[in-house]
Amino acid sequence: MSHSAITDNYLYVIMVLLPLAALMLVIQTSPYQALVIRGILGAVAALIYAVLGGADVALTEALVGTMLAITLYAVAVRSSLVMRLGVLSGEEVRSNLHWRPLLNYLRALLNRYHLRLELVTYDDVQTLHQALQTKDVHGTCLVCRPAEAVQLPDDDRPAQHSNPSTVPVDTLESPYLITLRVPRLYEIFTTELPPVMAQVKALGDDGLDDLRTGDRQPALADASTLTEDD
Amino acid sequence: MTAVLMAMIAALLIPMVEAFQDEDIWQRMLAFASIATKTSVMILVVSVLRDDWMIGMVGVLILSVGNAALMLLAHIIRRLSEVMEEY
Repeated sequence: MSHSAITDNYLYVIMVLLPLAALMLVIQTSPYQALVIRGILGAVAALIYAVLGGADVALTEALVGTMLAITLYAVAVRSSLVMRLGVLSGEEVRSNLHWRPLLNYLRALLNRYHLRLELVTYDDVQTLHQALQTKDVHGTCLVCRPAEAVQLPDDDRPAQHSNPSTVPVDTLESPYLITLRVPRLYEIFTTELPPVMAQVKALGDDGLDDLRTGDRQPALADASTLTEDD
Repeated sequence: MTAVLMAMIAALLIPMVEAFQDEDIWQRMLAFASIATKTSVMILVVSVLRDDWMIGMVGVLILSVGNAALMLLAHIIRRLSEVMEEY
């Protein structure tokens, strides 16, 4: 190892690259973009270690610091930054066109928080609620079917619904009802999702009348006790 | 030879600026591939410059393994975008 090489001029220029890459990594906000910058940082660090004579350190940085760390981080980010939304398989959410505006809006909304939207289909409403209770999904999306209420004759409507006060709520607002069990997601959805796209309620909020009259604190308390280990 | 190395350092700055500015994840992966290859080639140049075979061996290993890590990361990101554009 020649000691005169340590005093070469190009070494100083190479050394500047490491804090530059580290600064780029620190000011990233998106997790995936940060992963790529982490790879760049690892490559620059391996270059510096090799040029300074630490060949073993450079090899370890390339093998562990770049390859293993990035792969593990990518798997962790991929499995954690996701919102699982439970839907009914009978609705044919993936193929039906009238779901598309809502799904696109939700995806754009979640994308701002670097989250992905993953749809999980269930066969009936019972298993859907069961999945929400057992924390298999973060929320459910159901259709309230206002079309049936509109098509029914007026004298048949009280026979169909034991509680007639909920009927105007279904017909006036959006047909989609999103039930969420995570309090932070509930905050995001209530503040940024317009009511014409979908109605949002927290888990434990029974009936749409409670949502309209505005007694939301008990519902949020229930949801937080359910998800305190998330 | 030092001038060649200086030119390589200047060339290394181009993909770094690109990785910092472009928001597209694939453009950043391209910049990452460019930087990973350039740094390992620079290690090889330094090893030839100093006539040090140990650094040269490490440069060859980083050149091959670094690109393998790049392929792994690209595969995971591609699977992710397939999930996002599923429907």
